[in-house]
Amino acid sequence: MAEKISNRKVFFNPFSKDNPVLVQILGICSVLAVTVKLAPALAMGLSVIAVLAFSNVIISILRKTIPTNIRIIVQLVVVAGLVVIVSQLLQAYAYDVSKQLSVFISLIITNCILMGRLEAFAMANRPWPSFLDGVGNGIGYTIILVSVAFFRELLGSGTLFGFRVVPQALYDAGYVDNGLMILPPMALVVVACIIWVQRSFNKDLQEK
Amino acid sequence: MNKESKSYTLLYTMALVMIVGSALAYTAITLKDRQQANIDADKMRQILASVRITPAADSIVESYRHYITDSYVVDASGNRLEGDNAFDVNVGAQMRLPGGERELPVYVCTLADGSEKYILPLYGSGLWGPIWGYVSLDSDAAVVYDAYFAHQGETPGLGAEIQKPAFSSQFVGKRIFLDDRFMPVTVVKAGRAPSDGRDYVDAVSGATITSKGVADMLDNCLLPYRAFLENLSRQNQTH
Amino acid sequence: MENLNLFIRSIFIDNMIFAYFLGMCSFIAVSKNVATAFGLGVAVTFMLAITVPANYLITTYVLGPGALVWAGPEFADVDLSFLSLIVFIAVIASLTQLVEMVVEKYSPSLYASLGIFLPLIAVNCAILGGSLFMQQRGFDSVATSFCAGSGWGIGWLLAITAVAAVRERVAAYSNVPAPLRGVGITFIITALMGIAFMSFLGIKI
Repeated sequence: MAEKISNRKVFFNPFSKDNPVLVQILGICSVLAVTVKLAPALAMGLSVIAVLAFSNVIISILRKTIPTNIRIIVQLVVVAGLVVIVSQLLQAYAYDVSKQLSVFISLIITNCILMGRLEAFAMANRPWPSFLDGVGNGIGYTIILVSVAFFRELLGSGTLFGFRVVPQALYDAGYVDNGLMILPPMALVVVACIIWVQRSFNKDLQEK
Repeated sequence: MNKESKSYTLLYTMALVMIVGSALAYTAITLKDRQQANIDADKMRQILASVRITPAADSIVESYRHYITDSYVVDASGNRLEGDNAFDVNVGAQMRLPGGERELPVYVCTLADGSEKYILPLYGSGLWGPIWGYVSLDSDAAVVYDAYFAHQGETPGLGAEIQKPAFSSQFVGKRIFLDDRFMPVTVVKAGRAPSDGRDYVDAVSGATITSKGVADMLDNCLLPYRAFLENLSRQNQTH
Repeated sequence: MENLNLFIRSIFIDNMIFAYFLGMCSFIAVSKNVATAFGLGVAVTFMLAITVPANYLITTYVLGPGALVWAGPEFADVDLSFLSLIVFIAVIASLTQLVEMVVEKYSPSLYASLGIFLPLIAVNCAILGGSLFMQQRGFDSVATSFCAGSGWGIGWLLAITAVAAVRERVAAYSNVPAPLRGVGITFIITALMGIAFMSFLGIKI
């Protein structure tokens, strides 16, 4: 399917029209868990971009040699290897971030975006488009992650990246942070609202 | 070569496992020291936080060496155990042993004004996972100097509040000996008081289980230190 | 008693869907009707109940720091925990394959109803999440791992069946705004149920 699509489309489509989270509904698990604050959300997004791009390239290079019946296992092993390397690097160079992400960094392995892209794209395309596809989808995923985290941190804690943005005067006037936004279920509601907005503009994505 | 044949599949798997395995082993080994250094620095930061010292990220080890002038391990009868490094004691693992058999780490901090504070580690469980902390005592072991609490995954806005100074600073100046009886500070719902008259702080409202976890942690972790603290208070009180 | 408590906790409080949002991808995709949702739930429960104890044994006797002591004192310093992730996923993938083969051979009727879900499970984050939580929380026996694993599984089953039931009704009777139909409204239903499940916090047996 993808042979004729230009590299530019491969790269930019996942940002909105073909967004892995909103449209393909992949990788929801981690979106919800790490979006209380912006900083870990961004770190998670960058890790996913890195793992997705490299695993796409590796699988794409290997695609002609992989025996079909152990295809899934090969993909899992490559992804798992990369994830472990990323998580080790984080523990060594960004310890605070790795503490906040805890098990969710390991759960990148089962992030369906990865398996989805490897199966659908990297197995059928050459390394360079696969790399673009990986980075594009990673960015599409990060956009959602960061925008969910933006609303949750702003409304839930009154801060952005840990800096206070809601002025003290507002608190003095009786404003309170919405504690509900910090709780995990609200992430789902925020994603649902983003889907709502996005599908109002892209009518062809609406169901039924 | 037939890439669907059994031998090819087998060889392929083996080669893949070898390559990935060695890549992982290489990263793990090269990064190990750095990771351990991070973990140690984080622990030092927490220990220092319990005596209100908050160094910048790059000078944690330095200030730890500067302020923590001594550290040792005692047993439940207050005797020093030789040869054990307080910093290496895994408090979480010790908590699974009965109180009498635990190795109890003590850190001695000398502040800029020359006064000595004794820092004791705490470890317990909250609602979602482990909670831990450090409590510092004045040199006569009479009152709490300050405390630091941390958690792994308590509910943000509720249980997670124990990490904030608003909660931990309540411990400042609380007594742990009442009429020569050893009674660690406890945590009770705001507006109530414990029936046995001991000193207490207000629980985080809405976080009953986490607050109870802190109270239990204080009891479980501090009671084994009783003999050590009684000695300490006898030595240092008379002056 | 301790284990029973953990079991109940794993179902209601530490619910994989409502508290951790693990296994959401298949959860969203398969919760359109109750019968299929139940089938996948049973498969997930089964896999969690066997993979968590299996990975517990591997962590304790092969991968953890000093776990290889049984093989000889010279192995006491070996710490292979950096391999745990890759081993967990391999164990899950191969157990899935194994269960699929066994079920197919001995119970074709069960295979017919469950079989189609098994391949979905290797990449279900709830399963891997179970093993990672086991490692992170330092469970100390096979029984504990089994109770937590099966509890998480039943919690997942409960969640997907309940949401599927609501979705069936919503699809048939409610006038949902067009852009929210399908995925959007499912997110909101799940969120509301998640908030409701928070009232189980603090239950202790």
